[in-house]
Amino acid sequence: MIQLIGLTKKYSKVKAIDGINLEIKPGEIFGFLGPNGAGKTTTIKIMVGLLKPTSGRVIIDGNDIAKNPLEAKKAVGFIPDRPFLYEKLTGKEFLRFMAGLYSIDTNSYESKISELLELFELTEWGDELIEGYSHGMQQRLVMSSALIHNPKVIIVDEPMVGLDPRGARLVKEIFKAISSKGTTIFMSTHTLEIAEEMCDRIAIIQEGKVIALGTMDQLRNKVDASKDQRLESVFLALTETFAQPAESFEEVP
Amino acid sequence: MGKVTLLLTPRLISLKNRINSRDRWEMAKAIMLLLLAVCFWIGIFIGVYRVLTYFQGIEVIGDMLTRRLLSMVFLTFFSILLFSNVITSLSTFYLSDDLNLIHSAPVPLGRIYLARFIETTVDSSWMVLLFGLPVFIAYGFVYSASFTYYLWLMVVIIPFLIIPAGLGITLTMVLVNVFPAKRTKDIFLLLSIVAVIILYLLFRFLRPEKLVDPEAFSAVAAYLTALKTPSSPFLPNHWATEAILPLLQNYEGSPVFFFLLLLSTGLALIVIGNYLSSHLYYDGWSKSQEAKKSTISKTMVIERLITFFTRYFSPQTRALMTKDIKTFFRDTTQWSQLFLLAALVVVYLYNFSVLPLDRSPIPTFYLQNLISFLNMGLAGFVLSAVAARFAFPAVSLEGPSFWIIGTSPITIRGFLWSKFFTNLLPLLVLAETIIILSNYLLKVSNFMMLLSSLTVFFMTFGIIGLAIGIGASYPRFKVENVAKMATSFGGAVYMICSMIFIGLIVILEAWPVYLIFISQITHRPLALSQWTAIWLSFFAVGVINILAIFLPMKIGAMKLSEMEEYP
Repeated sequence: MIQLIGLTKKYSKVKAIDGINLEIKPGEIFGFLGPNGAGKTTTIKIMVGLLKPTSGRVIIDGNDIAKNPLEAKKAVGFIPDRPFLYEKLTGKEFLRFMAGLYSIDTNSYESKISELLELFELTEWGDELIEGYSHGMQQRLVMSSALIHNPKVIIVDEPMVGLDPRGARLVKEIFKAISSKGTTIFMSTHTLEIAEEMCDRIAIIQEGKVIALGTMDQLRNKVDASKDQRLESVFLALTETFAQPAESFEEVP
Repeated sequence: MGKVTLLLTPRLISLKNRINSRDRWEMAKAIMLLLLAVCFWIGIFIGVYRVLTYFQGIEVIGDMLTRRLLSMVFLTFFSILLFSNVITSLSTFYLSDDLNLIHSAPVPLGRIYLARFIETTVDSSWMVLLFGLPVFIAYGFVYSASFTYYLWLMVVIIPFLIIPAGLGITLTMVLVNVFPAKRTKDIFLLLSIVAVIILYLLFRFLRPEKLVDPEAFSAVAAYLTALKTPSSPFLPNHWATEAILPLLQNYEGSPVFFFLLLLSTGLALIVIGNYLSSHLYYDGWSKSQEAKKSTISKTMVIERLITFFTRYFSPQTRALMTKDIKTFFRDTTQWSQLFLLAALVVVYLYNFSVLPLDRSPIPTFYLQNLISFLNMGLAGFVLSAVAARFAFPAVSLEGPSFWIIGTSPITIRGFLWSKFFTNLLPLLVLAETIIILSNYLLKVSNFMMLLSSLTVFFMTFGIIGLAIGIGASYPRFKVENVAKMATSFGGAVYMICSMIFIGLIVILEAWPVYLIFISQITHRPLALSQWTAIWLSFFAVGVINILAIFLPMKIGAMKLSEMEEYP
């Protein structure tokens, strides 16, 4: 469903991502992890068409995002980590706007909008301006908008940012439900518990390169960890092995 | 005082870093702005210098006039400063992003008040001070003032700046306790626009051109009486005038007394403000943090109008247009500018209604049509200026939300055309209102009425094409104030292109129309070659119009698509 082929992005001389190759199957929940500045957001931005790669290709649902962007974008629902929305629209109006962008039939989207607002517990806020929404509510609204066109792929950058525990659980349940119906979810996150709990496979990226890829068990094997070891220790072991040793640290007084 | 200085350091360091940045483009822009400011500065100086020299030449009332002018200058500065301080303090005291950090730090409220007081005063006053300086220097030059005058001026001006700051901040603190901070800012922005409109209309309706009319000289006696009446002795502008005028006009006066009045009032306002802040500020700030549950009008009429006007467009264009229209009418800073536009149209039409065409030595028929022709160019200019404010920033207005467009299955071309059509109808209505009403007031021939209405109709398409296309070629998604977009580099490029476009259209039409008029006056039919040339001219107008619509739109779409990274 998603293919990243030799994806590279250079900023002047610095390689933000360096030859990433990934293939994600339909219905898979795929975790994309890495330390700060590893290249996660850069990869995601290229995947959704917000950034041009220096080289390499992104193929979504059989369509190259560079050559056939409209068809590729039709298959994707994107949820960014910081959702900047049109603050002067109400929640419902925003969802109608998004439905329009995806050319959904006017007669069918009203019921879908009510359904999504209900699902994300936003019904009573539907007629309020977005500028009055909290960060978590905005995040849930973006998630609703990403689902309005029943996408085949969901690409999400930090899904749990700004969500309260109830909201986080809600989102986890929704993601699991839609993935069981065949939607592919590509998720970048720092919340390792969520990745561990939800993802079928995980890729760990560092300094722009994929340093590990596989199921939880495969990752554990890679660092000779026991079955009961959590992703946190596996992640730290993998990233520390790969990282260059720091030259010196000054003692903090 | 250490804490106050510390609180001011982030601003100072940011300023230093900006100056030190090696960005060439930024440097070039700064130099351009500086040059422009210097030109403006010199312009003010020369203007005031000439007015003052002229006043000095008038016997009896010369000195009275200069005194009056100085007092008026101070009063104008005082009013601007008061307004500016209210708006600035709403940001510095209540809406600024760094306030959360500052309030959570162990800093006494009094210190925060003082630091923000200094910040507000500097932010609101530097521009007035900068452009006020040439006025005061011109005074010094005209009266051959000594160095003491300039030194004393600097001493007097400081408390003069502190007073409106103290008053403005106190007023803000009281207002924010009654209304939410954001709404207060909206209200004040709206008020400032209304004030500008009233001043503009008043000035125009006073008909300053009548001053050169000898019949109006009967008012001189009343004028002299008005001059002798002193301005209110309780206003700081009077104190400032009386504090510096003795040094210019060499009379005794009590400059020190008036300076002390300014100083004591300024200091008293700081103390009173500080005291009030301990009671009012924290409550107001907490209030401004509360969720803004905004009420919006849900009039079905507007909804239906939007649905009606957008019904023939594709779902994507319809969605974008609906979003843009709703956003426009819900943003006070956007729709309030419509008042300015209305005032502009009223004054524009008023100018035509008072044109003394019958008193001109040129035949009226000829003059009416000539002016109607110039009117086309002028209407084009007005439309360009309006489009610079509304259509040109349309793409940049998406701001950080552009990711929605970037990730949606909509072509950049489609996106730009939606912006084109959103701006088309309102600008067409404006264009035709201006041209038809002004032609009606000019009582032009039916031919000219038809020609100019049609020309301006199609010209509007070209102007919007240029505005949207060039706006897309120079997008600034991070710009905070869209009103400033028109003065950016891209804005200048657009205005130049638009002027060339209008100029070409007017020139290409002027010549054939002249031929037609001459043939009508002389009752001689036009030759075939002349008809061919006329049709070629109109054909060229058509081609230029089409190019003005499609070429910039194409370039804009290309540039936007080629952007390395969307926000």
